[in-house]
Amino acid sequence: MTTMMEHPAPTSGHTPRVGIIRHLNVFTAFGLGAITAFVVWRLGLSFLPADSESAPLFTREDKITLLSMIGWFVGFMAGIGALVAPFRWVMGKDLSHDENMFLAGKDMGTKRYFRYTTDHKVVGIQYLIITMVIFGIGGILAMLIRANLGTPEGGWIHPQAYNSIVGTHGIIMIVGTIIMVTGPFGNYIMPIMIGARDMAFPRLNALSFWLIVAAAIPLIWGQFIGGISTGWSAYNPLAGQAPLGMNGYIMFICIFALSTMVAGANITTTVVRMRARGMTWNRTPIFIYGTVASVALALPAFPVFFLSQVMSGMDRALGTSFYDTARGGSGWLYENLFWIMGHPEVYVILIPAVAALMEMAPVFTRRPLFSFNVAVMGIAGICGLSVLVWAHHMYMSGWAPLLNAPFMLTTELISIPTGMLFLVLVGTLWRGRLWMTVPTMSIFALLWNFMIGGVTGIYLSDVPADAFLHGSMYVTAHFHYTLMGAGLTGAIAALVYWFPKMTGRMLDKKLSWVSFWLVQIGFNVAFIGMFFVGLQGQPRRVEAYAAIFNKGNLITTIGAATIMTGMLILLAAVIGSWRSGVKAPMNPWYAKSLEWTVPNPVPLENFETLPVVTEDVYGYGRKN
Amino acid sequence: MPDTNTPYFTGQWWKRKDVKRHAVLWVILTALIGYIGTEVQTRAMGAPASEAMENVINLIRIFTWAAAPVAAFVAAIAIGALMGNRHYGDNPPPEAEHAITNSPRANAVWIVISALLCLFALIAGLIALQKDNEALLDNQAIRVNVVGQQWAWNYDYPGSNGVRSEVLHLPVDQPVVFHVTSKDVKHSFWVVQMGIKIDANPGEFTETAVTPNKIGTFDIRCAELCGLLHAYMQNKVIVESKEDFDKWMASQPNTGETTWTEEGAAA
Repeated sequence: MTTMMEHPAPTSGHTPRVGIIRHLNVFTAFGLGAITAFVVWRLGLSFLPADSESAPLFTREDKITLLSMIGWFVGFMAGIGALVAPFRWVMGKDLSHDENMFLAGKDMGTKRYFRYTTDHKVVGIQYLIITMVIFGIGGILAMLIRANLGTPEGGWIHPQAYNSIVGTHGIIMIVGTIIMVTGPFGNYIMPIMIGARDMAFPRLNALSFWLIVAAAIPLIWGQFIGGISTGWSAYNPLAGQAPLGMNGYIMFICIFALSTMVAGANITTTVVRMRARGMTWNRTPIFIYGTVASVALALPAFPVFFLSQVMSGMDRALGTSFYDTARGGSGWLYENLFWIMGHPEVYVILIPAVAALMEMAPVFTRRPLFSFNVAVMGIAGICGLSVLVWAHHMYMSGWAPLLNAPFMLTTELISIPTGMLFLVLVGTLWRGRLWMTVPTMSIFALLWNFMIGGVTGIYLSDVPADAFLHGSMYVTAHFHYTLMGAGLTGAIAALVYWFPKMTGRMLDKKLSWVSFWLVQIGFNVAFIGMFFVGLQGQPRRVEAYAAIFNKGNLITTIGAATIMTGMLILLAAVIGSWRSGVKAPMNPWYAKSLEWTVPNPVPLENFETLPVVTEDVYGYGRKN
Repeated sequence: MPDTNTPYFTGQWWKRKDVKRHAVLWVILTALIGYIGTEVQTRAMGAPASEAMENVINLIRIFTWAAAPVAAFVAAIAIGALMGNRHYGDNPPPEAEHAITNSPRANAVWIVISALLCLFALIAGLIALQKDNEALLDNQAIRVNVVGQQWAWNYDYPGSNGVRSEVLHLPVDQPVVFHVTSKDVKHSFWVVQMGIKIDANPGEFTETAVTPNKIGTFDIRCAELCGLLHAYMQNKVIVESKEDFDKWMASQPNTGETTWTEEGAAA
């Protein structure tokens, strides 16, 4: 390993000298976080003055809650060891070689997964696990929603709790889908795919993961102090009126946005600076483009989200009036900030999932990717346009009726680059030999689901049609078709495809097929039913509905149960195969990208000698 | 295996068997998708109670038929691929004999067609939008103030006697403009069967307009999550003949409260 050459090789019997980092792990992090939160809470109770007569209700409690959550955050990050290296650096020292090796998780076994480990492969696995946990919780919440909608009267969940379940399901599924491809595969696979030994900023990589863990706690905490009863969009002034749990949402978003920004800067830099020799932009795999597009798009979007929530928190805790109309603010300001993040964000989710499938299409059809340049332009076009369309979420808000027509234009324009992605996929399928695997069928599933999601998106982009459809279950079905039908399908395919490299074992074939069909059929049943009730006129986020919506909701509930069964089978397949699956060969799919040229398990710094790329990654078949 | 120098195909491409097969499939699928897509959706939407809603239904019909050929094209190729060369097993099939990496003509055709469809959708949308916008400026329209609050709608009719109702009464075939506002949080005023919707914002007035063209009772629902009882924030609109409406109006007590000012504008 070349990086070690600069240092004297450790002699046998050499005891690594590792300072305080040795003692820090996830347990000290949770401990220190909890203690700090408790201390701040107690101090706040003792020393914060009572509210004056003029202050709005709850301000003091909001201050204490937010401060305790910030205390948790700082304590957690100190406890996990995120501050050690910056602190040393400020003191004019730096981490020793032994310490850096320790941080990279050298010879640490499974313990490295519970520490501030900088190895991109460890971070990738951590992301994979947390994504699965998020989908598990989000899925349970979805089933609770469907259970409550089993009968028109709703009823067995209290409306406040129901609203909170809807909001929590929304936000954690959004977060789960944002990280589901760029987290596990963007961290584990991407550096190997471009022929690098690690990310550009390994410590930032560890930071981006642990920030998500730190963010999760305020959200869970919020559930016990009133919940997030505002839906995931947390519109003001409803959010200002919501119970203390809203602070959990605010802190969650702020910390998660930090994580996204850190990861975005890191992944972008890695791809721009660290591609192997010979990997020109024309030879860079399309998945890399998808990953970079996704995180680069998040870079302008998430600071806005961060800001919108800081202002929301200030309105609650400090008596400011950013969103309070009575005192010179505007609820429309919040809507704008939210959707300036919110629309690029759906492409943050979608692009890497589609790009992953475009990466797999040549492998399983044994043909080159059709029109690589069109694929790149499609991704670039979506990225460019997606920052100009946010107000189509606000057609019916009354904010600026004159802007409806221009936003309709930009929104409908996005169908052109999206269509390019379809062209690339069908072009690759045309006359190919299909190697029938779950990823192959996922390409077809994506075409089907994304087509429905895309065409219904055209109805919604049209202002007069949106006057009927906006805020109805139709919208809910539409974005589930895109984010789940297209996004999650791509992510599951990516899991099947890269599982052998990440775990050294093949994912159980039979179970993954059963899961694939259950999820896809259940998915289409569930959301076709939801389209139907939306067209009949059922609003979103309701806990009870008129009797005419009975049938559609029943269909949706049955579909949801089928999805759940399929996902549980996938979980069983993942756990079973990880523990005792068939050992995977180095290149089970006979693919030509670089990640398949490294042995299983992937060594610490991936490549003994850095590879040089001399040919097209999609060079299947003969040229003519 | 053919010789490496054999071109991908010879002769005119449209005479190839597989192209013809796909073309037939494409035509059939276009008809199927267009028909099923429009029928299922328009049936679910039910009978319209205004011209605005008829426009919505028409737009959905137009867009579905415009999208059908594209969806059918993708579906035809997908089905063709699935019906073609399938290979099972742990080892890959042999690589393609013809490694087509690009087709500038296909790219150009695809992009031009999607741009034209996009333009078409935009024009159709703008025409319908123009109708909606003109409705707002109708001098003949009666005006109703809609006030949303957690979790009810109130309707204030113009005039000195301060008629305030919890059920919306409207005369048939009479244009009406709604001025919508909220007392607390954001709501969304949705007259379902008339296909109109506008958010109710605290401290602001927003406008929407419609001409009900069918006598009957229709639904008004809140379409923006507004707290605890959002699901129950709904009531009815009763569309009746002019005489019935006038009779009802005359029978209403003076509440003494109104959101109408001297100037007639909402305040």
